[in-house]
Amino acid sequence: MKTLLAVTSGMTMLISSSVLADMRISGYGSIIAGKTLGTVNDPLNPGQTRDEILTADFYDVGQYDNDITIKAESIFAVQAVMDLAENFSVTAQLVAKGVDDFEPEFDWYYLTYKATENLTLMAGRRNIPMYYFSEFSEVGYAYPWMRPPSNLYWWQVTQFNGVHAMYDFEMGGYSNTLTFFYGNEYSDDNVEMLYYDKLYGGSARTVNEYWTDIAGMNWNISGDNFDLRFVYFQNDRDRETIQQDGSIDPYTPFSQTFVGLGGNVSLDKFTLLFDWNFVEYDDALGTEFPTYLVSLVYNWDDYQPYISYSKADHERTKVPTEDLEEHYVLSYGLRYNFLPTAAFKIQYDKFVDQGHAPSGWAYHGDARAISMGVDFVF
Amino acid sequence: MLLSTKNMTWKVVLAVSTLSFFYLSKATAEVSIIVHPSNASTFDQETIKKIFLGKTKSFSNGRSAILISASSSDPASDEFNTKVIGKSSSQVKAYWSKILFTGKGTPPQEMDSNNDVIAAVSSNPDAIGYIDASAATDAVKVVATF
Repeated sequence: MKTLLAVTSGMTMLISSSVLADMRISGYGSIIAGKTLGTVNDPLNPGQTRDEILTADFYDVGQYDNDITIKAESIFAVQAVMDLAENFSVTAQLVAKGVDDFEPEFDWYYLTYKATENLTLMAGRRNIPMYYFSEFSEVGYAYPWMRPPSNLYWWQVTQFNGVHAMYDFEMGGYSNTLTFFYGNEYSDDNVEMLYYDKLYGGSARTVNEYWTDIAGMNWNISGDNFDLRFVYFQNDRDRETIQQDGSIDPYTPFSQTFVGLGGNVSLDKFTLLFDWNFVEYDDALGTEFPTYLVSLVYNWDDYQPYISYSKADHERTKVPTEDLEEHYVLSYGLRYNFLPTAAFKIQYDKFVDQGHAPSGWAYHGDARAISMGVDFVF
Repeated sequence: MLLSTKNMTWKVVLAVSTLSFFYLSKATAEVSIIVHPSNASTFDQETIKKIFLGKTKSFSNGRSAILISASSSDPASDEFNTKVIGKSSSQVKAYWSKILFTGKGTPPQEMDSNNDVIAAVSSNPDAIGYIDASAATDAVKVVATF
């Protein structure tokens, strides 16, 4: 946290000494405490019990167990936008997460060029626009729940370095945005992949995960009471699992495609949020991941009670294997907007692991968790 | 210290009437949408709503709109969001935080007072803002009142 303050104040000083650049500072954060409620038979060590574990953040491996913690998903982020010219700006987001002991990192760092009123080009480091909530999954204030359902937002790569072209247009009275993107992510020392290696008894020194030639598009349509977003992209996948002796495990690279449709619809006092996605590998097994989310929020003044159900499945179409990874999360919660810029949230999660235990695919284990905290923006 | 019953009764009456006056004034407060006097664009509620959600980026005169809003603690903010946008101020703020932190737009610039909104709008031909209807002056053009 000290480092963050030092860097932030350093940034601010740097900025205030520059009189040329017009600069806008804003930010967001969440301070969330939580824990799981019981113990479970350890799915990977039959006969032993362990704390229930709820993974709130797969990418960073932010987890809750029986000991209350604020580290799993608390976060603080400062965004600076520097206008270098009327249509040309630099955006940087310094993000400090509890899972990293609040060591700040520049998670977002990109140039924006408004070529015309309707065409915006961006180049640099941003989140991959995968799921409907992917790009702002860490901005807790922007959605009702504690987090977008973590059993869907589970990928080991969430960011990339690349370019985006965004085109806005009106059609049939609806606002449309078409976005095309291309980029690469060489995720050295991937936290989630190393976690899995250890979970299954491995002792790798590190795992490097490569997602390359990430190329795709989003189509966003919004009207008076709805917002819909279609996504398609494909990319190549490769991985280096480096053992203690320096040897690298064999790995067969493959390509994946990602398709999805998500959004929200407002019906009087209710808001329906949903996201359906399908990931397919071109590997020898015919791996597929169908996932979906459905959530209903009731908007009652400053109170927003909600319920959410998210389901993830893992299938193999080219081999006769039916039972692999499968789970759902059922969550109930309440968001209370107690200030114009801050919301209190409390959420109960029930994670049910429906994976195939004998083959080790039920590796998450069931979990029930309570988390509460405050999301804010400034 | 003990309060006499009479004194207590008065306090309750006073509190209730202040409260009802507050609700009454809240219910009847109107919000005016203001632009620079030179802006001859046409406006209806749908246009104003789309402009303030960043979905329409320019006026009918072809110029890019610069959005000015009251501060989030200003009653005019709630008034505008409820009547014109049709959402609570928190929902509007959540909507903008998604856009702001993904670099897809810039939310309206918040001003501390009605006078600051008037000053900002009267000094920029492309600005649009909203104020408590009773605060409007000749320095700006009122294009709609809700």
